[in-house]
Amino acid sequence: MEAIAFTDVSKSYGDVLAVDGLDLSVRAGTTVALLGPNGAGKSTSVNMLLGLLRPTRGRVEVLGRSPDEAVARGEVGAMLQSGELIPELTVRETVDFVRRLYPDPLDLDEILAMADLAGLAKRRAGKLSEGQAQRVRFAMAVAGAPELLLLDEPTAAMDVESRLRFWAGMRDYAARGRTVLFATHYLQEADENSDRVVVIARGGVVADGTAAEIKAGVGGQAVHFTLGRQPAAGLDALPGVTAVGIQAGAATLQTTDADATVAALYRGTSLEVRDLRIAGADLEEAFLTLTRES
Amino acid sequence: MPFGYLRIELLRMLRNKRYIIFVGAFPVIFYMINANLWGTQTIEGGVKADVFLMVSMGAYGALAASMMSTAVPWAQERQSGWLRQLQVTPLPNATIILTKLVSALMLVLPALLLVILAAVLTQGVSLTAGQWAALIPAMWLGTIPFAALGLVIGSLLPVDTAQPVAMLSMFALALLGGLWFPPEVMPATMKEIADVLPSFSYADIGWHLVSGEAVPPSDAVKVVIWAVVLGALAVFGYRRAVTRA
Repeated sequence: MEAIAFTDVSKSYGDVLAVDGLDLSVRAGTTVALLGPNGAGKSTSVNMLLGLLRPTRGRVEVLGRSPDEAVARGEVGAMLQSGELIPELTVRETVDFVRRLYPDPLDLDEILAMADLAGLAKRRAGKLSEGQAQRVRFAMAVAGAPELLLLDEPTAAMDVESRLRFWAGMRDYAARGRTVLFATHYLQEADENSDRVVVIARGGVVADGTAAEIKAGVGGQAVHFTLGRQPAAGLDALPGVTAVGIQAGAATLQTTDADATVAALYRGTSLEVRDLRIAGADLEEAFLTLTRES
Repeated sequence: MPFGYLRIELLRMLRNKRYIIFVGAFPVIFYMINANLWGTQTIEGGVKADVFLMVSMGAYGALAASMMSTAVPWAQERQSGWLRQLQVTPLPNATIILTKLVSALMLVLPALLLVILAAVLTQGVSLTAGQWAALIPAMWLGTIPFAALGLVIGSLLPVDTAQPVAMLSMFALALLGGLWFPPEVMPATMKEIADVLPSFSYADIGWHLVSGEAVPPSDAVKVVIWAVVLGALAVFGYRRAVTRA
Protein backbone atom coordinates (compact mmCIF):
# COMPACT_ATOMS: atom_id res chain seq x y z
CA MET A 1 0.00 0.00 0.00
CA GLU A 2 1.08 3.55 -0.69
CA ALA A 3 1.52 5.61 2.46
CA ILE A 4 2.06 8.79 0.47
CA ALA A 5 1.03 9.67 -3.06
CA PHE A 6 1.61 13.00 -4.79
CA THR A 7 0.07 13.03 -8.27
CA ASP A 8 1.20 15.94 -10.45
CA VAL A 9 1.09 18.33 -7.51
CA SER A 10 1.89 22.01 -7.85
CA LYS A 11 1.71 24.71 -5.24
CA SER A 12 2.26 28.37 -5.86
CA TYR A 13 2.33 31.36 -3.56
CA GLY A 14 1.37 34.26 -5.79
CA ASP A 15 3.95 34.19 -8.58
CA VAL A 16 6.32 31.84 -6.81
CA LEU A 17 6.04 28.20 -7.75
CA ALA A 18 7.16 26.30 -4.64
CA VAL A 19 6.25 22.82 -5.87
CA ASP A 20 6.13 22.13 -9.58
CA GLY A 21 4.39 19.01 -10.89
CA LEU A 22 5.58 16.72 -8.09
CA ASP A 23 4.99 13.00 -8.58
CA LEU A 24 6.08 10.89 -5.67
CA SER A 25 4.80 7.81 -3.96
CA VAL A 26 6.11 6.10 -0.86
CA ARG A 27 5.33 2.49 0.04
CA ALA A 28 4.15 1.85 3.58
CA GLY A 29 6.88 0.79 5.97
CA THR A 30 9.77 2.63 4.32
CA THR A 31 11.89 5.46 5.63
CA VAL A 32 12.39 8.18 3.07
CA ALA A 33 14.63 11.23 3.20
CA LEU A 34 13.41 14.27 1.32
CA LEU A 35 16.69 15.95 0.59
CA GLY A 36 17.09 19.39 -0.87
CA PRO A 37 18.47 22.88 -0.34
CA ASN A 38 16.46 25.61 1.37
CA GLY A 39 13.58 26.71 -0.80
CA ALA A 40 13.42 23.43 -2.71
CA GLY A 41 9.81 22.82 -1.67
CA LYS A 42 10.39 20.37 1.18
CA SER A 43 8.30 22.11 3.84
CA THR A 44 5.57 22.95 1.36
CA SER A 45 5.33 19.26 0.45
CA VAL A 46 5.24 18.17 4.09
CA ASN A 47 2.58 20.77 4.91
CA MET A 48 0.44 19.55 2.01
CA LEU A 49 0.65 16.01 3.42
CA LEU A 50 -0.74 17.38 6.68
CA GLY A 51 -3.54 19.36 5.11
CA LEU A 52 -2.00 22.58 6.39
CA LEU A 53 -1.59 23.71 2.78
CA ARG A 54 -3.79 22.90 -0.18
CA PRO A 55 -2.20 22.07 -3.54
CA THR A 56 -2.87 24.57 -6.31
CA ARG A 57 -3.10 21.64 -8.71
CA GLY A 58 -2.93 17.86 -8.51
CA ARG A 59 -3.79 15.40 -5.76
CA VAL A 60 -2.21 14.47 -2.44
CA GLU A 61 -3.18 11.25 -0.72
CA VAL A 62 -2.10 9.92 2.65
CA LEU A 63 -2.75 6.25 3.44
CA GLY A 64 -5.33 6.20 0.67
CA ARG A 65 -7.32 9.15 2.03
CA SER A 66 -7.29 12.92 1.96
CA PRO A 67 -4.70 14.46 4.31
CA ASP A 68 -7.46 16.03 6.47
CA GLU A 69 -9.12 12.67 6.96
CA ALA A 70 -5.87 10.90 7.80
CA VAL A 71 -4.99 13.58 10.36
CA ALA A 72 -8.47 13.50 11.92
CA ARG A 73 -8.23 9.71 12.29
CA GLY A 74 -4.92 10.02 14.11
CA GLU A 75 -2.97 8.17 11.44
CA VAL A 76 -0.39 10.89 10.97
CA GLY A 77 2.09 12.37 13.41
CA ALA A 78 4.29 15.32 12.58
CA MET A 79 7.16 17.37 13.83
CA LEU A 80 6.92 20.73 12.10
CA GLN A 81 9.86 22.98 11.47
CA SER A 82 8.96 25.37 14.26
CA GLY A 83 6.55 25.28 17.12
CA GLU A 84 6.99 26.46 20.66
CA LEU A 85 5.68 24.59 23.64
CA ILE A 86 3.53 25.99 26.44
CA PRO A 87 6.18 27.21 28.92
CA GLU A 88 4.11 26.55 32.08
CA LEU A 89 3.53 22.86 31.32
CA THR A 90 5.95 20.06 32.12
CA VAL A 91 7.33 17.70 29.50
CA ARG A 92 5.20 14.87 30.86
CA GLU A 93 2.00 16.95 30.86
CA THR A 94 2.60 18.14 27.31
CA VAL A 95 3.33 14.71 25.86
CA ASP A 96 0.53 13.03 27.80
CA PHE A 97 -1.97 15.64 26.63
CA VAL A 98 -1.07 15.00 22.99
CA ARG A 99 -1.04 11.20 23.28
CA ARG A 100 -4.54 11.22 24.73
CA LEU A 101 -5.86 12.95 21.62
CA TYR A 102 -5.15 9.79 19.59
CA PRO A 103 -7.31 6.67 19.52
CA ASP A 104 -4.55 4.13 20.11
CA PRO A 105 -1.45 5.85 21.49
CA LEU A 106 1.86 4.50 22.72
CA ASP A 107 2.52 4.09 26.41
CA LEU A 108 3.71 7.36 27.98
CA ASP A 109 6.92 5.96 29.48
CA GLU A 110 7.73 4.27 26.22
CA ILE A 111 7.41 7.60 24.37
CA LEU A 112 9.56 9.42 26.89
CA ALA A 113 12.24 6.73 26.62
CA MET A 114 12.18 6.79 22.81
CA ALA A 115 12.61 10.57 22.74
CA ASP A 116 15.26 10.40 25.46
CA LEU A 117 13.16 12.51 27.81
CA ALA A 118 12.78 10.24 30.82
CA GLY A 119 15.12 12.44 32.89
CA LEU A 120 13.31 15.63 31.87
CA ALA A 121 9.71 14.50 32.39
CA LYS A 122 9.04 16.88 35.29
CA ARG A 123 10.75 19.92 33.81
CA ARG A 124 8.65 22.84 32.62
CA ALA A 125 8.86 23.41 28.87
CA GLY A 126 9.95 27.01 29.45
CA LYS A 127 13.16 25.76 31.06
CA LEU A 128 14.24 23.46 28.22
CA SER A 129 17.08 24.13 25.79
CA GLU A 130 16.16 24.37 22.12
CA GLY A 131 17.50 20.87 21.48
CA GLN A 132 15.50 19.44 24.39
CA ALA A 133 12.36 21.18 23.17
CA GLN A 134 12.89 19.54 19.79
CA ARG A 135 12.97 16.15 21.47
CA VAL A 136 9.65 16.98 23.12
CA ARG A 137 8.24 17.84 19.69
CA PHE A 138 9.48 14.49 18.43
CA ALA A 139 7.74 12.81 21.38
CA MET A 140 4.53 14.67 20.47
CA ALA A 141 4.84 13.43 16.89
CA VAL A 142 5.18 9.74 17.79
CA ALA A 143 2.86 9.84 20.84
CA GLY A 144 -0.24 8.73 18.95
CA ALA A 145 1.54 5.77 17.32
CA PRO A 146 0.82 7.17 13.84
CA GLU A 147 1.13 5.01 10.72
CA LEU A 148 2.92 7.85 9.01
CA LEU A 149 5.49 10.02 10.76
CA LEU A 150 6.53 13.28 9.09
CA LEU A 151 9.60 15.17 10.29
CA ASP A 152 10.46 18.56 8.83
CA GLU A 153 14.15 19.40 9.42
CA PRO A 154 13.98 17.64 12.77
CA THR A 155 17.56 18.18 13.95
CA ALA A 156 17.95 21.86 13.05
CA ALA A 157 18.79 23.11 16.57
CA MET A 158 20.42 19.98 17.97
CA ASP A 159 24.06 19.45 18.86
CA VAL A 160 25.95 16.40 17.59
CA GLU A 161 25.19 14.26 20.63
CA SER A 162 21.45 15.06 20.52
CA ARG A 163 21.37 14.30 16.80
CA LEU A 164 22.77 10.84 17.26
CA ARG A 165 20.23 10.07 19.97
CA PHE A 166 17.45 11.61 17.93
CA TRP A 167 18.12 9.40 14.92
CA ALA A 168 18.35 6.35 17.17
CA GLY A 169 14.83 7.19 18.42
CA MET A 170 13.57 7.69 14.87
CA ARG A 171 15.00 4.35 13.70
CA ASP A 172 13.45 2.73 16.76
CA TYR A 173 10.08 4.05 15.66
CA ALA A 174 10.57 3.11 11.99
CA ALA A 175 11.52 -0.43 13.05
CA ARG A 176 7.91 -0.92 14.19
CA GLY A 177 6.91 -1.08 10.54
CA ARG A 178 5.80 2.55 10.32
CA THR A 179 6.38 4.86 7.39
CA VAL A 180 8.68 7.79 8.05
CA LEU A 181 9.38 10.73 5.79
CA PHE A 182 11.87 13.32 6.91
CA ALA A 183 12.97 16.51 5.19
CA THR A 184 16.58 17.56 5.57
CA HIS A 185 19.34 19.47 3.90
CA TYR A 186 21.97 17.41 5.69
CA LEU A 187 23.22 14.79 3.26
CA GLN A 188 24.82 12.65 5.88
CA GLU A 189 21.53 12.37 7.76
CA ALA A 190 19.74 11.31 4.61
CA ASP A 191 22.48 8.81 3.83
CA GLU A 192 22.57 7.23 7.28
CA ASN A 193 18.93 7.14 8.28
CA SER A 194 16.84 6.31 5.24
CA ASP A 195 16.03 3.42 2.92
CA ARG A 196 15.49 5.81 0.08
CA VAL A 197 16.65 9.31 -0.74
CA VAL A 198 14.47 11.61 -2.82
CA VAL A 199 16.41 14.68 -3.91
CA ILE A 200 14.21 17.65 -4.69
CA ALA A 201 15.17 20.98 -6.15
CA ARG A 202 13.09 23.81 -7.53
CA GLY A 203 9.90 22.04 -6.52
CA GLY A 204 10.46 18.75 -8.28
CA VAL A 205 12.23 15.40 -7.91
CA VAL A 206 15.73 15.44 -9.44
CA ALA A 207 16.94 12.07 -8.15
CA ASP A 208 15.36 9.13 -6.40
CA GLY A 209 17.01 5.99 -5.08
CA THR A 210 19.26 4.67 -2.36
CA ALA A 211 22.13 6.91 -1.30
CA ALA A 212 24.55 4.60 -3.16
CA GLU A 213 22.57 4.81 -6.38
CA ILE A 214 22.51 8.56 -6.27
CA LYS A 215 26.25 8.76 -5.74
CA ALA A 216 26.85 6.38 -8.64
CA GLY A 217 24.58 8.37 -10.93
CA VAL A 218 26.73 11.46 -10.71
CA GLY A 219 30.12 11.25 -12.31
CA GLY A 220 32.79 13.89 -12.36
CA GLN A 221 35.14 15.21 -9.77
CA ALA A 222 35.28 17.98 -7.29
CA VAL A 223 37.94 20.63 -6.81
CA HIS A 224 38.14 21.97 -3.27
CA PHE A 225 40.15 24.99 -2.17
CA THR A 226 40.14 27.76 0.38
CA LEU A 227 38.67 30.93 -1.04
CA GLY A 228 38.60 32.96 2.14
CA ARG A 229 37.00 36.32 1.61
CA GLN A 230 37.82 36.58 -2.06
CA PRO A 231 34.90 37.04 -4.43
CA ALA A 232 33.38 33.89 -5.94
CA ALA A 233 32.18 35.62 -9.11
CA GLY A 234 33.31 33.92 -12.29
CA LEU A 235 34.08 30.53 -10.75
CA ASP A 236 31.04 29.03 -12.43
CA ALA A 237 32.37 30.14 -15.82
CA LEU A 238 35.61 28.17 -15.56
CA PRO A 239 35.94 25.29 -18.03
CA GLY A 240 34.29 22.03 -16.97
CA VAL A 241 32.55 23.49 -13.93
CA THR A 242 28.98 22.34 -13.44
CA ALA A 243 28.30 23.67 -9.96
CA VAL A 244 29.85 25.95 -7.37
CA GLY A 245 29.41 25.59 -3.65
CA ILE A 246 30.85 28.04 -1.11
CA GLN A 247 30.66 27.39 2.58
CA ALA A 248 32.55 29.27 5.27
CA GLY A 249 35.21 30.39 2.82
CA ALA A 250 35.73 26.90 1.36
CA ALA A 251 34.91 26.54 -2.31
CA THR A 252 33.85 23.32 -4.04
CA LEU A 253 33.73 23.20 -7.82
CA GLN A 254 31.97 20.26 -9.45
CA THR A 255 33.67 19.59 -12.73
CA THR A 256 33.66 17.23 -15.64
CA ASP A 257 37.32 18.03 -16.33
CA ALA A 258 39.38 18.64 -13.22
CA ASP A 259 42.62 19.33 -15.16
CA ALA A 260 41.08 22.09 -17.25
CA THR A 261 39.34 23.60 -14.26
CA VAL A 262 42.50 23.72 -12.13
CA ALA A 263 44.59 25.10 -14.98
CA ALA A 264 42.08 27.88 -15.57
CA LEU A 265 41.79 28.55 -11.87
CA TYR A 266 45.51 29.35 -11.66
CA ARG A 267 46.02 30.99 -15.04
CA GLY A 268 42.68 32.56 -15.76
CA THR A 269 41.89 34.17 -12.41
CA SER A 270 43.75 36.45 -10.05
CA LEU A 271 42.56 34.46 -7.01
CA GLU A 272 44.97 33.30 -4.38
CA VAL A 273 44.21 29.58 -4.31
CA ARG A 274 45.21 27.66 -1.17
CA ASP A 275 44.69 24.10 0.09
CA LEU A 276 43.77 22.75 -3.34
CA ARG A 277 42.42 19.21 -3.36
CA ILE A 278 40.75 17.09 -6.03
CA ALA A 279 38.31 14.34 -5.04
CA GLY A 280 35.77 11.97 -6.57
CA ALA A 281 32.11 12.78 -6.06
CA ASP A 282 30.61 11.86 -2.71
CA LEU A 283 26.97 12.29 -1.79
CA GLU A 284 27.56 15.90 -0.89
CA GLU A 285 28.92 16.60 -4.32
CA ALA A 286 26.25 14.54 -6.00
CA PHE A 287 23.74 16.64 -4.16
CA LEU A 288 25.31 19.91 -5.22
CA THR A 289 25.38 18.78 -8.82
CA LEU A 290 21.77 17.68 -8.77
CA THR A 291 20.37 20.73 -7.06
CA ARG A 292 22.37 23.47 -8.73
CA GLU A 293 20.48 26.33 -10.27
CA SER A 294 20.15 25.68 -13.96
CA MET B 1 -14.76 18.11 24.62
CA PRO B 2 -11.46 16.45 25.50
CA PHE B 3 -11.03 16.96 29.22
CA GLY B 4 -7.25 16.78 28.89
CA TYR B 5 -7.15 19.90 26.74
CA LEU B 6 -9.29 21.87 29.18
CA ARG B 7 -7.08 20.65 32.02
CA ILE B 8 -3.81 21.88 30.52
CA GLU B 9 -5.42 25.20 29.56
CA LEU B 10 -6.42 25.77 33.19
CA LEU B 11 -3.13 24.52 34.60
CA ARG B 12 -0.99 26.80 32.50
CA MET B 13 -2.93 29.94 33.42
CA LEU B 14 -2.95 29.10 37.12
CA ARG B 15 0.85 28.68 36.95
CA ASN B 16 1.36 32.04 35.29
CA LYS B 17 2.50 34.54 37.94
CA ARG B 18 1.55 37.66 36.01
CA TYR B 19 -1.93 36.32 35.52
CA ILE B 20 -2.36 35.38 39.17
CA ILE B 21 -1.25 38.83 40.32
CA PHE B 22 -3.50 40.74 37.90
CA VAL B 23 -6.51 38.51 38.23
CA GLY B 24 -6.26 36.95 41.68
CA ALA B 25 -4.54 39.55 43.81
CA PHE B 26 -5.35 43.01 42.35
CA PRO B 27 -9.15 42.90 42.53
CA VAL B 28 -9.06 41.64 46.12
CA ILE B 29 -6.49 44.27 47.17
CA PHE B 30 -8.48 47.07 45.47
CA TYR B 31 -11.58 45.82 47.18
CA MET B 32 -9.98 45.81 50.62
CA ILE B 33 -8.51 49.30 50.21
CA ASN B 34 -11.73 50.84 48.95
CA ALA B 35 -13.95 49.01 51.37
CA ASN B 36 -11.82 50.20 54.26
CA LEU B 37 -11.82 53.79 52.98
CA TRP B 38 -15.51 54.26 52.46
CA GLY B 39 -17.18 50.90 52.85
CA THR B 40 -19.49 51.97 55.65
CA GLN B 41 -21.05 54.81 53.66
CA THR B 42 -24.49 54.25 52.31
CA ILE B 43 -25.08 55.00 48.68
CA GLU B 44 -28.33 55.77 46.92
CA GLY B 45 -30.83 52.98 47.20
CA GLY B 46 -29.72 52.32 50.75
CA VAL B 47 -26.98 49.84 49.87
CA LYS B 48 -23.75 49.97 51.81
CA ALA B 49 -20.69 50.80 49.74
CA ASP B 50 -18.85 47.62 50.67
CA VAL B 51 -21.62 45.57 49.02
CA PHE B 52 -21.67 47.81 45.96
CA LEU B 53 -17.87 47.55 45.76
CA MET B 54 -17.99 43.79 45.98
CA VAL B 55 -19.88 43.83 42.69
CA SER B 56 -17.55 46.42 41.10
CA MET B 57 -14.33 44.63 42.05
CA GLY B 58 -15.77 41.19 41.41
CA ALA B 59 -16.74 42.44 37.96
CA TYR B 60 -13.24 43.82 37.44
CA GLY B 61 -11.65 40.52 38.50
CA ALA B 62 -13.95 38.57 36.22
CA LEU B 63 -13.29 40.96 33.32
CA ALA B 64 -9.52 40.67 33.83
CA ALA B 65 -9.68 36.87 34.08
CA SER B 66 -11.72 36.49 30.91
CA MET B 67 -9.55 38.81 28.83
CA MET B 68 -6.12 37.90 30.17
CA SER B 69 -6.67 34.18 29.72
CA THR B 70 -7.66 34.66 26.08
CA ALA B 71 -6.13 37.53 24.06
CA VAL B 72 -2.38 37.27 24.58
CA PRO B 73 -2.07 33.51 25.16
CA TRP B 74 -4.11 32.91 22.03
CA ALA B 75 -2.08 35.34 19.90
CA GLN B 76 1.08 33.68 21.19
CA GLU B 77 -0.13 30.19 20.36
CA ARG B 78 -1.01 31.21 16.84
CA GLN B 79 2.33 32.91 16.27
CA SER B 80 4.60 30.41 18.02
CA GLY B 81 3.33 27.41 16.09
CA TRP B 82 1.60 25.70 19.03
CA LEU B 83 -1.72 25.99 17.21
CA ARG B 84 -0.21 24.34 14.11
CA GLN B 85 1.02 21.51 16.27
CA LEU B 86 -2.52 21.04 17.57
CA GLN B 87 -3.88 21.18 14.02
CA VAL B 88 -1.85 18.12 13.00
CA THR B 89 -3.42 16.07 15.82
CA PRO B 90 -6.97 14.65 15.65
CA LEU B 91 -8.23 17.61 17.72
CA PRO B 92 -10.95 19.34 15.61
CA ASN B 93 -10.64 23.09 15.03
CA ALA B 94 -14.06 23.80 16.54
CA THR B 95 -13.04 22.03 19.73
CA ILE B 96 -9.96 24.20 20.07
CA ILE B 97 -11.86 27.51 20.15
CA LEU B 98 -14.69 26.08 22.25
CA THR B 99 -12.22 24.79 24.84
CA LYS B 100 -10.58 28.21 24.94
CA LEU B 101 -13.92 29.82 25.72
CA VAL B 102 -14.87 27.26 28.35
CA SER B 103 -11.48 27.48 30.05
CA ALA B 104 -11.75 31.29 30.14
CA LEU B 105 -15.14 30.94 31.84
CA MET B 106 -13.77 28.41 34.31
CA LEU B 107 -10.99 30.85 35.21
CA VAL B 108 -13.51 33.65 35.82
CA LEU B 109 -15.12 31.76 38.67
CA PRO B 110 -12.20 31.79 41.16
CA ALA B 111 -11.45 35.45 40.37
CA LEU B 112 -15.04 36.37 41.12
CA LEU B 113 -15.34 34.18 44.20
CA LEU B 114 -12.14 35.56 45.74
CA VAL B 115 -13.58 39.08 45.84
CA ILE B 116 -16.89 37.80 47.20
CA LEU B 117 -15.03 35.81 49.83
CA ALA B 118 -13.03 38.87 50.84
CA ALA B 119 -16.26 40.86 51.12
CA VAL B 120 -17.97 38.26 53.25
CA LEU B 121 -15.00 37.53 55.50
CA THR B 122 -13.55 41.01 56.02
CA GLN B 123 -16.59 43.29 55.66
CA GLY B 124 -19.25 40.91 56.84
CA VAL B 125 -21.28 41.38 53.66
CA SER B 126 -24.38 39.26 53.71
CA LEU B 127 -27.04 38.70 51.08
CA THR B 128 -30.08 36.46 50.98
CA ALA B 129 -29.67 33.00 49.49
CA GLY B 130 -31.80 34.09 46.54
CA GLN B 131 -29.55 37.10 45.90
CA TRP B 132 -26.40 34.97 45.92
CA ALA B 133 -28.07 32.42 43.66
CA ALA B 134 -28.84 35.14 41.12
CA LEU B 135 -25.68 37.22 41.52
CA ILE B 136 -23.00 34.56 41.05
CA PRO B 137 -24.34 32.95 37.84
CA ALA B 138 -25.15 36.37 36.37
CA MET B 139 -21.67 37.72 37.04
CA TRP B 140 -20.13 34.49 35.83
CA LEU B 141 -21.90 34.04 32.50
CA GLY B 142 -21.98 37.80 31.92
CA THR B 143 -18.26 37.59 31.08
CA ILE B 144 -18.92 35.76 27.78
CA PRO B 145 -18.66 39.04 25.77
CA PHE B 146 -15.25 39.78 27.33
CA ALA B 147 -13.87 36.29 26.71
CA ALA B 148 -15.10 36.58 23.11
CA LEU B 149 -13.44 39.99 22.79
CA GLY B 150 -10.19 38.49 24.06
CA LEU B 151 -10.38 35.75 21.44
CA VAL B 152 -11.12 38.31 18.71
CA ILE B 153 -8.02 40.30 19.70
CA GLY B 154 -5.92 37.14 19.90
CA SER B 155 -7.12 35.87 16.51
CA LEU B 156 -6.67 39.08 14.55
CA LEU B 157 -3.57 40.72 16.03
CA PRO B 158 0.06 39.64 16.41
CA VAL B 159 1.35 39.24 19.99
CA ASP B 160 3.14 42.62 20.08
CA THR B 161 -0.09 44.44 19.27
CA ALA B 162 -2.48 42.10 21.07
CA GLN B 163 -0.75 42.78 24.39
CA PRO B 164 -1.34 46.56 24.55
CA VAL B 165 -4.71 46.37 22.81
CA ALA B 166 -5.98 43.80 25.30
CA MET B 167 -4.68 45.85 28.24
CA LEU B 168 -6.18 49.08 26.94
CA SER B 169 -9.53 47.43 26.19
CA MET B 170 -9.59 45.91 29.62
CA PHE B 171 -8.82 49.16 31.42
CA ALA B 172 -11.18 51.15 29.22
CA LEU B 173 -13.98 48.66 29.87
CA ALA B 174 -13.26 48.77 33.61
CA LEU B 175 -12.96 52.55 33.87
CA LEU B 176 -15.77 53.56 31.51
CA GLY B 177 -17.96 50.75 32.73
CA GLY B 178 -17.90 52.30 36.20
CA LEU B 179 -16.03 49.43 37.86
CA TRP B 180 -13.39 51.68 39.43
CA PHE B 181 -15.46 54.79 40.08
CA PRO B 182 -19.20 54.67 40.50
CA PRO B 183 -20.98 55.86 37.36
CA GLU B 184 -22.76 58.51 39.45
CA VAL B 185 -19.56 60.57 39.67
CA MET B 186 -18.90 60.40 35.91
CA PRO B 187 -19.34 63.42 33.66
CA ALA B 188 -22.34 63.23 31.32
CA THR B 189 -20.42 62.18 28.17
CA MET B 190 -18.68 59.37 30.02
CA LYS B 191 -22.02 58.21 31.29
CA GLU B 192 -23.33 58.04 27.75
CA ILE B 193 -20.37 55.93 26.71
CA ALA B 194 -20.78 53.71 29.77
CA ASP B 195 -24.37 53.12 28.84
CA VAL B 196 -23.48 51.26 25.64
CA LEU B 197 -20.51 49.31 27.01
CA PRO B 198 -21.02 45.67 27.98
CA SER B 199 -18.99 46.20 31.15
CA PHE B 200 -21.45 48.76 32.52
CA SER B 201 -24.56 46.70 31.74
CA TYR B 202 -22.80 43.66 33.19
CA ALA B 203 -21.93 45.34 36.49
CA ASP B 204 -25.27 47.14 36.58
CA ILE B 205 -27.02 43.76 36.70
CA GLY B 206 -24.96 42.94 39.79
CA TRP B 207 -25.58 46.32 41.45
CA HIS B 208 -29.32 45.90 41.02
CA LEU B 209 -29.25 42.37 42.37
CA VAL B 210 -27.42 43.34 45.59
CA SER B 211 -29.80 46.29 46.09
CA GLY B 212 -32.70 43.91 45.93
CA GLU B 213 -34.05 45.73 42.88
CA ALA B 214 -35.34 44.24 39.67
CA VAL B 215 -32.69 44.05 36.96
CA PRO B 216 -33.49 46.44 34.08
CA PRO B 217 -34.22 44.25 31.03
CA SER B 218 -32.16 46.63 28.88
CA ASP B 219 -28.99 45.59 30.79
CA ALA B 220 -29.56 41.92 30.09
CA VAL B 221 -30.43 42.60 26.46
CA LYS B 222 -27.26 44.65 25.96
CA VAL B 223 -25.03 41.95 27.45
CA VAL B 224 -26.64 39.32 25.23
CA ILE B 225 -26.29 41.48 22.11
CA TRP B 226 -22.61 42.09 22.89
CA ALA B 227 -22.11 38.36 23.49
CA VAL B 228 -23.67 37.51 20.12
CA VAL B 229 -21.78 40.20 18.18
CA LEU B 230 -18.39 39.51 19.77
CA GLY B 231 -19.00 35.77 19.64
CA ALA B 232 -19.64 35.98 15.90
CA LEU B 233 -16.50 38.10 15.46
CA ALA B 234 -14.52 35.54 17.46
CA VAL B 235 -15.69 32.74 15.17
CA PHE B 236 -14.81 34.85 12.12
CA GLY B 237 -11.37 35.68 13.55
CA TYR B 238 -10.74 32.07 14.43
CA ARG B 239 -11.70 30.87 10.97
CA ARG B 240 -9.26 33.38 9.52
CA ALA B 241 -6.53 32.19 11.88
CA VAL B 242 -6.87 28.51 10.93
CA THR B 243 -7.58 28.93 7.21
CA ARG B 244 -5.56 26.62 5.06
CA ALA B 245 -3.89 28.41 2.19
